Amino acid sequence: MSKGFANNRLTILSLGVVACFMAVGVRLVFLHVIDREELLRFVNKARRQIVVEHARRGAILDARGNLLATSRSVMTLAVDAWSLDEYLQIEKNPAKRARRAAEEQAKRAQLAGLLGLSVADVEKAFVPAMRPVKPEADQRDGKVDGLTKDRWVKLREGVDESVYDRVAALNIRGLTAERAYRRVYPGSGLASHLIGYLNKEGTAVTGAERHFDLYLKGQDGWIESEKDGARREMAQFRSREIPVQDGNDVVLTIDSVIQHIIEDELKTIAAKYDPHFATIIVSDPQTGAILGMANYPSFDLNNYSKAPLDAQRNYAVTDIIEPGSTFKIVAAGAALNEGLVTPASLFDCGITSIDYKGKTLKLPKEDEPFGMLSVADIVAHSSNRGAAQLAMRLGEERFYDYARRYGFGQSTAFPLGGEVRGILEAPAKWDGLTITRMPMGHAIAATPLQVHMAMSAVANGGALLRPQILKEIRDTNGNLVRTFGPEKRDQVLKPSTAALLAQLLTGVVREGTAKGFDIPGFEVAGKTGTTQKVIDGKYSTTRHVGSFVGFFPASRPQVVLSVIVDDAKVTSGSAYGRVVAAPAFKHIAEQLIQYLDIKPVQPASRSLLAMQGGVR
Amino acid sequence: MKPPPAHALVNRLIALTLLLLVFSGSLGLGAVWVRQEISQTANRSRGFVARINDVERRLDEVNAEIAAAVNPDALLRQNEAMRLGLAMPREVQVVRVDGSPELRLAGKRNREIFSLAATGAGAPAFRVVTASLR
Repeated sequence: MSKGFANNRLTILSLGVVACFMAVGVRLVFLHVIDREELLRFVNKARRQIVVEHARRGAILDARGNLLATSRSVMTLAVDAWSLDEYLQIEKNPAKRARRAAEEQAKRAQLAGLLGLSVADVEKAFVPAMRPVKPEADQRDGKVDGLTKDRWVKLREGVDESVYDRVAALNIRGLTAERAYRRVYPGSGLASHLIGYLNKEGTAVTGAERHFDLYLKGQDGWIESEKDGARREMAQFRSREIPVQDGNDVVLTIDSVIQHIIEDELKTIAAKYDPHFATIIVSDPQTGAILGMANYPSFDLNNYSKAPLDAQRNYAVTDIIEPGSTFKIVAAGAALNEGLVTPASLFDCGITSIDYKGKTLKLPKEDEPFGMLSVADIVAHSSNRGAAQLAMRLGEERFYDYARRYGFGQSTAFPLGGEVRGILEAPAKWDGLTITRMPMGHAIAATPLQVHMAMSAVANGGALLRPQILKEIRDTNGNLVRTFGPEKRDQVLKPSTAALLAQLLTGVVREGTAKGFDIPGFEVAGKTGTTQKVIDGKYSTTRHVGSFVGFFPASRPQVVLSVIVDDAKVTSGSAYGRVVAAPAFKHIAEQLIQYLDIKPVQPASRSLLAMQGGVR
Repeated sequence: MKPPPAHALVNRLIALTLLLLVFSGSLGLGAVWVRQEISQTANRSRGFVARINDVERRLDEVNAEIAAAVNPDALLRQNEAMRLGLAMPREVQVVRVDGSPELRLAGKRNREIFSLAATGAGAPAFRVVTASLR
């Protein structure tokens, strides 16, 4: 080999390599400098994508872990009829194309069966159609005629995953599916006023869904990534990833079984008395935990859109009533607490007027004539005049102060349902007769929950607690995030006074206004209440609010229970608390005793036999 | 000393260039292989995540169905449909037993055995039963 040839070869090779490098360099300059912006735009548009991962909304559970609200994935099926058309047009052989079309048609018939639609409806969705579009946006099919191919025709929404699996197995051309989360309420109407609901847009509207939305909703995650030609994500090109944080589970204090018991009782009340509304509340006096709260009318959470707005109100906190005789616990408790009277102190309840601060005041009417009554009898027989005299012993200021301490005229801070504060005017705004009328529960307005919590204070040694509905927050793995304990608002009565008043309240069912509604062995303490409704500015003599608010066992209270029935229609007589509310109270109490395994205060003799192993 | 011929140097250079090409080529292929592996692993991982999500979704669905099936209203309907006649006990039907019923029943059984043994002839054949022995 000559030297000249070697040099030439080296030169050619070097030139070749240099040329290659230059070509690559020039291309790189074009790609990275000259066309950079355009190419970047194209790449970003064609390949980059941000995939949003929606957080799963947390569940709402009752105190025993039963699901009250949860999220369930459902599919929305849609049709791209043009895609099917294109698939068939690809096949040039008419015989094969006809066979493909027949196969697809057979699948669509099966699809109709799975979705519960008629074959005609399904076939109609699979007919390629055009839809109008703004001319400036009409560039997709090359013609500017104000029409574009309709590639999304909704076929069916809310398809269950199990049904969708069978649909997907058919592998139907042109059928697309989109997953969405739908809120479901397994209990349907159970605790509907407490749970609330999400509307079609997924916005929390009422109840726990709305108030605890911050805990429930979680945080959406997102992935910045690239996609291939088939729009599939290329996971290796993920450049940023924010993990999704599912919502926490909210555990309420209510118990599904107790809630069901009271809702069942409300149905009975509704069928029997056709009231304007009725409310039943059950709570634990020691913690203030609401075990159940139900209203009539009610509604089904899974069909909330069909429910009238009135049925969606949580009457227990949104409506005010005159508490009536249930309010007598204020005057009696205050007078006992101040040491002004003892249970045996006597008052003349036969008088019709009384001198008070230099004026003669007319006393309210009684339902039945009374003579001299002890404080215990005033409570048991619900004497209006007796209660008025107790309040007079206290004086306006002290009586008002006690009413405030019982929680009247103030928000209980119950979070669900738009609570109102009620009406309790200061003594400066009272007229001359208020001191005689307010002790019997007139000239004051309170929500059913306020009345309930006032009675709960008596059952809880005189301590007024906040009604508690939120028990705890748990994360998606079931780990405890936060717990909520009892919250004391005020010490209304001394514990000894509260215990004494509780014993006096047992007289109501033993010999008083609710005689016959006692449950032997369980020391039911309670107070009936009946108030005339104010119609057109006057007290009606035919329309009443009847209530029974109480607790048991009186010596160690475990349950506080309120039954309030507004405007019950009774066939004869008036809708007194003892007529419309006390029977429901007793019926519920009997069930709660069994369900909560509340032990009797005095064990029945048959228990002794069992304690000895059956030997007798 | 005689210098090496020019063509030998060129041949060596060509050989080295080829070697460099082979080396860089294998590096490139290695990089491609690694990227391919990364891509496959990432996609497998994405697939697993999708499957986990799918299982969780189905689990939620099953939980919702269970909750709907065991809610008190549904159970009461089942009770009626199946004519089971189940009802909440009334207080009069309940016998409340304080303390451990096991110990009490064991005591009762032992009392019976001992009293039998006291009246019967021969050695007593009994076993003392207590709750703790179970």
